[in-house]
Amino acid sequence: MLGITILLLGWNDCRAQNEKLVFTPHWIPQAQFAGYYVALDQGFYKDEGLDVDIVHATANIASLDLLKNGEADVVSSFMLDAMEQRAKGVPLVNIGQLSQHSALMMVTKKKSGIDTPQKLHNKKLGIWSSGFEDVPLAFMQEHGIRMDLIRILQTVNLFLVDGVDALMVMYYNEYDQINNCGIDEDELNTFFFSDYNLDIPEDGIYCLEDSLNSKGDAYAGFLKATLRGWEYASQHREYALDLVIGEMDRAHLPNNRVHQRWMLEKVLEMMNPGKKKVTKGQLLKSDFDRAMEVFRMAKETQGLQTFGFEQFYQLPAGSKK
Amino acid sequence: MNRNRLSFKIIVRVLLFCFILGGSIFTIYYLFARKTIERESRENAIHLAESAVYKIEEIINPAEMIPNNLAWIMETNTLSRDSIYAFLKQLVRNNESVFAGAIAFEPHMFSEEEYAFAPYAYRSGEEIRSRDLWSPAYNYFIMDWYQIPALLKKPYWSEPYYDEGGGGVLMTTYSAPFYRNINNSRVLAGIITIDISLEWLTEIVNSVKIFDTGYAFLISGNGVYVTHPNASHIMNQTIFTYAKEIDEPKIREIGRDMISGRSKFSNVDLKEIGKVWIYHTKIPSSKWSLGVVYPHREMYAGLRNLNIMIFMLSTVALVLLTIATIRIINRQIGPLSKFARAARSIAGGDFDTELSAVDENHEMKELHDSFRFMQEELTKYIADLKETTSAKEKIESELRIARGIQTDMIPHIFPPFPNLPEIGLYASLESAMEVGGDLYDFFPIDDDHLCFAIGDVSGKGVPASLFMAVTITLIRSMSDKNRSCAQIVESVNKTLTINNESNMFVTLFVGILNLRTGELQYCNAGHNPPVLLNRNQEPRMFSNTKAIPVGIFEVFDYRDETVVLDKSDQIFLYTDGVTEAEDADKNLFGEAALIKSLSENRDKSSKELTDRVKQSVKEFVNGHTQSDDITMMCITYWGKNENKIK
Repeated sequence: MLGITILLLGWNDCRAQNEKLVFTPHWIPQAQFAGYYVALDQGFYKDEGLDVDIVHATANIASLDLLKNGEADVVSSFMLDAMEQRAKGVPLVNIGQLSQHSALMMVTKKKSGIDTPQKLHNKKLGIWSSGFEDVPLAFMQEHGIRMDLIRILQTVNLFLVDGVDALMVMYYNEYDQINNCGIDEDELNTFFFSDYNLDIPEDGIYCLEDSLNSKGDAYAGFLKATLRGWEYASQHREYALDLVIGEMDRAHLPNNRVHQRWMLEKVLEMMNPGKKKVTKGQLLKSDFDRAMEVFRMAKETQGLQTFGFEQFYQLPAGSKK
Repeated sequence: MNRNRLSFKIIVRVLLFCFILGGSIFTIYYLFARKTIERESRENAIHLAESAVYKIEEIINPAEMIPNNLAWIMETNTLSRDSIYAFLKQLVRNNESVFAGAIAFEPHMFSEEEYAFAPYAYRSGEEIRSRDLWSPAYNYFIMDWYQIPALLKKPYWSEPYYDEGGGGVLMTTYSAPFYRNINNSRVLAGIITIDISLEWLTEIVNSVKIFDTGYAFLISGNGVYVTHPNASHIMNQTIFTYAKEIDEPKIREIGRDMISGRSKFSNVDLKEIGKVWIYHTKIPSSKWSLGVVYPHREMYAGLRNLNIMIFMLSTVALVLLTIATIRIINRQIGPLSKFARAARSIAGGDFDTELSAVDENHEMKELHDSFRFMQEELTKYIADLKETTSAKEKIESELRIARGIQTDMIPHIFPPFPNLPEIGLYASLESAMEVGGDLYDFFPIDDDHLCFAIGDVSGKGVPASLFMAVTITLIRSMSDKNRSCAQIVESVNKTLTINNESNMFVTLFVGILNLRTGELQYCNAGHNPPVLLNRNQEPRMFSNTKAIPVGIFEVFDYRDETVVLDKSDQIFLYTDGVTEAEDADKNLFGEAALIKSLSENRDKSSKELTDRVKQSVKEFVNGHTQSDDITMMCITYWGKNENKIK
């Protein structure tokens, strides 16, 4: 009995000092997650009494799946993907909205002559197999067009060899990749969804509702440290890039500082609220409402659960001041 | 060396010419050599690139054949699961360049029940293993190696990748679609792939050696570095990100040319190794592109070393040329300055100055001989001149004495007769030469009579002066109270004419003034008529004489004439030196000017009047050399009772 007590005490003691959290970013290592690497490397998580382990998702396995099956305690995700999971009954909550804007866009080659939404009608659109289709689907609906969705994994090669007419890209990532494969910016037509009243916030931090209730302080600490990490990354970009390149090297991923610098810059721009009346890390209700509208437009919602802003967006206990 | 010296100028010009000539030759040579190197480097670059491409194609082409052949088998046969695995394993085993092979079927194509099937055989160490690639986590339908050839319906070389299963080896996959006839239509049945390690490719490209820092590199269709001497570029950088990194847009241009399959030469600055030449050409099968990089620094290193050598040699040659030119020039034209010194010395009076010897028989020798001739002639001339000068000096001294004597012969103390208040007299004689031929004289004959004369001997100089001396002596000796002026003149004429072999003559005016009455008896033998000045009248000349000068004919009847002077009348006598005084333009002073001058000064004393006329003449000639003796005499008659000297 005494032994058990000591064991329990010891365990409790250990737990009190270092809350272990597995964090899964929603994609392979890249500058999109620089703030997390910085927070870890700078010991910001430790400062919050957290022992954070970053385990990356892959092109095949989404971060939300890892959250759902318990392999991750906290994940980053695209807001619309998270909303879909919530609607499907996964009790996840947004505990911090990092990106305030949409980096989603479509590109076509100028030589294709496709330069208006109408000309996209009946064209092939290369789109990730891992999601992100809500916004383009809403876009199509709002513009009364339909497109053939060609699922791709992650490269821009299909677009480069003219296997598709248009390609879904992230401004901070694939757009620059295309440019880095020798296509000049002036050879592309761009369709920024944010220009079509679809400026839906993207990357946010999610955990399961239960976990939030039981480990509120830990998540509050995680959010605080993460924001601190991003702030530090924006002040020390080359250092942040060193960490990104290190992560990519460890994952045996081709890495390229020029491209990662572009990505970091753009991701930081997305985090800046701009005209939106919101502070960094928070989700605006109007953005949630517009996202829900898009979600309903894009998805067959029959049989899915409905939920409100307060259910979806919950600040961790420690953050509620 | 003095900059103004001829030798300096010649040397500077010669060297300048040599410098320009050398510089021009060097420039032409340099440009030509550079062009040659460029041409050879171009040929070399093309050769290197093409042969590397050939080697690559030698491996790629047979590899491409495998899926193509396999496609044919798969389209015509239906193989069992096991036999496909066995077949694939055998294929990998038989082809050394193949790391792995797969046959990936379209959904439900292999069997109705199975959604997907992708048998895969691969090397694992020495073994060949096999497995099904399909799993929900590995949805090959959205993989590039499957999707692109499936959508494009043509073979596709994948972008290079690191194969994790293959020990992190750099790989590329060649995928070719195969088809089946279903319900009489040809539908896509799947994709056949072979994976090839790119290690051999790296070896081929790395074996291209270009100097020390030049290299060859290979980029994929997306511009990704497949091989590069900087290992960190491989798979991480595309040529386009590299262009951004070193901020060199030209590299982006080269990259675009490369991925579009063009072959081209470009010049670009690659920062880390400086300016380079890049030649690139495509690898036809895979649409990749090979570039060879020629660093300028090394390409032109040989030329640069040669240039340094040429520069050093040229410098030495120029120095030697300078020394040689200075020596030659100094030797050739050195005598000139010696001659110049000698000429100076000769001009300074040293006629014995030694001239430096000139051996060779050319212009300098001619100059030397001319100098020698000049020296000798000068010596001779100066000796002659010395003699002449001393003779001339002797004559001049004698002439000075003669002038003194002549001057002493005519009265030159004024006023001459302080005790004769009846008259005021002044005379002046200015010889044009040392001694002259003009004369004047005056002397009392008795208490009441004053004899005076003025004359002009023909010719000038010593003969005229001697004739003048004789004439003046004769006048004195012939004059007495019993003789009239004409008689005096006749006597003088007779005496002079006798033995006058030199045919000289003298114009003579002799007058005898009766101091008591003012009666003036005179005889004019061919002399200029004197001027009579009366207080109340304009000056007027005596009438012209018809008598000839004395000394021409032994017998001539000279006549006396008489005029009576009023008190304070003046007689102005002169020789033709006054009226014929010339200015620089050969204009003569003339009688009119004389009359004018006299008229302006007629109330003046004899001396003053004479001086004024003299001044008028002087002003008229204005410094022009006096060509004839100028003699004037003025007599003022005051009358017996006047006690006044004017």
